[in-house]
Amino acid sequence: MIVADQLNKHFKIYETKKGFIGSFTSLLSTKHHVVKAVNDISFNIGEGEFVGYIGPNGAGKSTTIKMLSGILHPTGGSIEVAGLSPQKRRKEVAKKIGIVFGQRTQLWWDLPLRDSFDILKEMYKVPDAKYHAFLKLYDDMLQIGQFMNTPVRKLSLGQRMRGDLAAAMIHDPDVLFLDEPTIGLDVNAKTSIRSFLKELNGKEKKTILLTTHDMDDIEQLCSRVIVINHGQIVLDGSITDLRHNIGLPSVIEVQYREKPQHLPAEFDGIEKMRWEDDKLILMYDRSVLSSPSLLQVVSKWGEPVDIQMKEPDIEEVIQKIY
Amino acid sequence: MVYWILIQKSFMTNLQYKVAHLINNAASAIFGFVFIAIWAGVLQGKEQSSPYDVMDMTYYIAASQCILWLSGFLTAGLNIQNGVRNGAISFELARPSNFFLYVTSQEAGRLVYNFFFRSVPIGLVFALTVGFYVPQHFSSYLFICISVLLAIIISINLHYLVGISACWTTEVAWAHFVNFTLLAGLGGQMVPIDFLPAPLSTLTQYLPFAGAIYYPVMVFLEKASNDVIWIQLFWALVLTLLNLWITERARQKLEIQGG
Amino acid sequence: MNLYLKLLSGSLRSRMQYKMNFLVSSLSYGLIMAVDFVLLAAILQRFNDVKGWNLYEVGLLYGISSVAITLYRVFGVEIHNFERYMVEGEFDSLLIRPVSPLSLLLTKNLDLSRIGGTAQGVIILVISIIGLSLDSFDMFLLLLYLPISIASGVVICFSLGLLTATFAFWTQRIKDFQTFTLYAPFNAANYPMNIYPGWLKIIFFTVIPVGFMNYTPILFLLDKGGSIWNLAWPPAVALGFLFLSLRFWHFGIRHYHSTGS
Repeated sequence: MIVADQLNKHFKIYETKKGFIGSFTSLLSTKHHVVKAVNDISFNIGEGEFVGYIGPNGAGKSTTIKMLSGILHPTGGSIEVAGLSPQKRRKEVAKKIGIVFGQRTQLWWDLPLRDSFDILKEMYKVPDAKYHAFLKLYDDMLQIGQFMNTPVRKLSLGQRMRGDLAAAMIHDPDVLFLDEPTIGLDVNAKTSIRSFLKELNGKEKKTILLTTHDMDDIEQLCSRVIVINHGQIVLDGSITDLRHNIGLPSVIEVQYREKPQHLPAEFDGIEKMRWEDDKLILMYDRSVLSSPSLLQVVSKWGEPVDIQMKEPDIEEVIQKIY
Repeated sequence: MVYWILIQKSFMTNLQYKVAHLINNAASAIFGFVFIAIWAGVLQGKEQSSPYDVMDMTYYIAASQCILWLSGFLTAGLNIQNGVRNGAISFELARPSNFFLYVTSQEAGRLVYNFFFRSVPIGLVFALTVGFYVPQHFSSYLFICISVLLAIIISINLHYLVGISACWTTEVAWAHFVNFTLLAGLGGQMVPIDFLPAPLSTLTQYLPFAGAIYYPVMVFLEKASNDVIWIQLFWALVLTLLNLWITERARQKLEIQGG
Repeated sequence: MNLYLKLLSGSLRSRMQYKMNFLVSSLSYGLIMAVDFVLLAAILQRFNDVKGWNLYEVGLLYGISSVAITLYRVFGVEIHNFERYMVEGEFDSLLIRPVSPLSLLLTKNLDLSRIGGTAQGVIILVISIIGLSLDSFDMFLLLLYLPISIASGVVICFSLGLLTATFAFWTQRIKDFQTFTLYAPFNAANYPMNIYPGWLKIIFFTVIPVGFMNYTPILFLLDKGGSIWNLAWPPAVALGFLFLSLRFWHFGIRHYHSTGS
């Protein structure tokens, strides 16, 4: 469904001076260095796969997505999305893919959600019957019916993301690119978005490529993970491979009434332990040690006054690969 | 002195846009050329029936295009309306420093910048192409400085009035449009006000708009008696006092209603 | 077409949510233009003409030029404000649609507040045509040609706007160019071209061809010179210029595809 073959994207970074004249002189000057934002990436994503595409900021994730959707043209290598080259046949590819940018809505800001859908229906030339079926189906799945007539600017972030997701599906694309769809959402909204995506992938057999900073998204949704760093693939495998390779540590912060004097140097399931001021930070493997039993363990060491569960940071996970 | 620092800071901020402004200057000069061409076309063969000949009008337009950047193109509402919209004005009014001076000194810094990077280069372009008047009498220079300074004070006050009205109306775009139109139209930006039709030409002489553009230009061209400075001074004082009073009213309004 | 109507009605409705704002801004925009013209009238009342053009004749030029630029400001608002797409990186979201970015931009929004300026220009045209008191054949020809002249003006203005917008692919910001490429030339085109010095005339008949939209045809229609060919120039120049600006625009998009900046 999505094939990238020895994909490269190099940017020439000209030595820019600040301000307006800078943009002119840098236009003329030839002084530059080349940044390999995407460096020889190849992968093949089959129909119905749900792939997590992760890596630290600036690793080349969004450059890849932009190339897959035809916004950027690769410096080298080739891409096929749904059998077509997005570089050469951008408009046709656009009809076969749906894209959601979590940071930026693609809905019409001042209009009710329904109007955005009406406009997109015309844009993608969706027949009436299909359109009505779409509205019904997505109201069932995302409950967008309740705020269909509200202007987009008045929607909550979670509602807007549901609207954006439905908008991306209006032309029933086979492939879906999701760039940080859960960013900034609260727990409830995240849960409802995830269950929707699961259904989309499971029942509707959509191929989905997802970038995220949220390890829970990856764990709960993706059957396959591609990790990139510095423009190169560092891992391409199943979620078990990822866990096997680096573990998916969960993090907990414990604050004690009195700092315990004796801590065990090692404990089965706990990967790392360190003090940060008066807080004890523990990284543990949930598959070995469940959270409730860990809580029992830490409360044996002293009297906790505050315990906080933290999600592991993707940057930290990537660091561990090296 | 806090106001002096504000003037400096605002000057430095504007310095960053220098080059973009230089391109804009070229456009501003073209506007001037167009006005000059119109006057040259209008006065051709009719100079006897006009108090000003083509050269006078060339000098007039050149000077008014320069002074426009000091007393015409000011920030809409001096940005006071933004503070009203986001509520920051309550804090600003409560500061120990004087709000009126706080706002106006920031604009003054921008105008100092405009003088060096807008008025002077535009004036140079005119000097090199169509000519720029050089005042003949040594004493004129003193009066020119006073007149321009008063023009700036008048214009800043007019723009302040527009901005502070946001405390009651929230939207100032309309007021700014009207203010600017009056300033350019009745202030003599393109047409010296003595050319306006009968009742208007007398009336406008006593309005503050003439004090912002027409009088300083005429003083610069040594075509007006230096007494017009009294008219300018009158408006500068009246408008300043008016604004100080309105600022006090705004403060009371915000204290009672909490913004 | 259906899509275009949907988009336009959408943009209309989103504007109408701020009714008061809309009314006030369109009124004041019209007012500025009115004052400008009244001042011109004041000068010409006193001095009769500017290089052989009386008030009504200049009014004809003035009306065409103002209607052209304000219609561009109404329909081309997103082109005019194109730097936003570069500065805020929103251009990407146009490239993921199965429609060309230019059609998306043209249908995204309407700036109806500028229609006040258009109305102002039309009023000036009406006053001038009545004031000219032409004989019926000349009048007929003028009325027949006026829409062509205005359309050519809109196309020239749009092309200039698009050319300027394309610069944003390299320079990001374009607002300061617009004074140079749009405001100043269209202000100049309010008046007869024969008043300008040679170098300005050259500019207005070549790189920024605003002289063609009104001066060239009106010269012939008012019997001030030129031949019947003067009537062919405006649409020809407009289309040629449109073609050039579209080429440049596509060149800009290709640049964006490779740099994404």
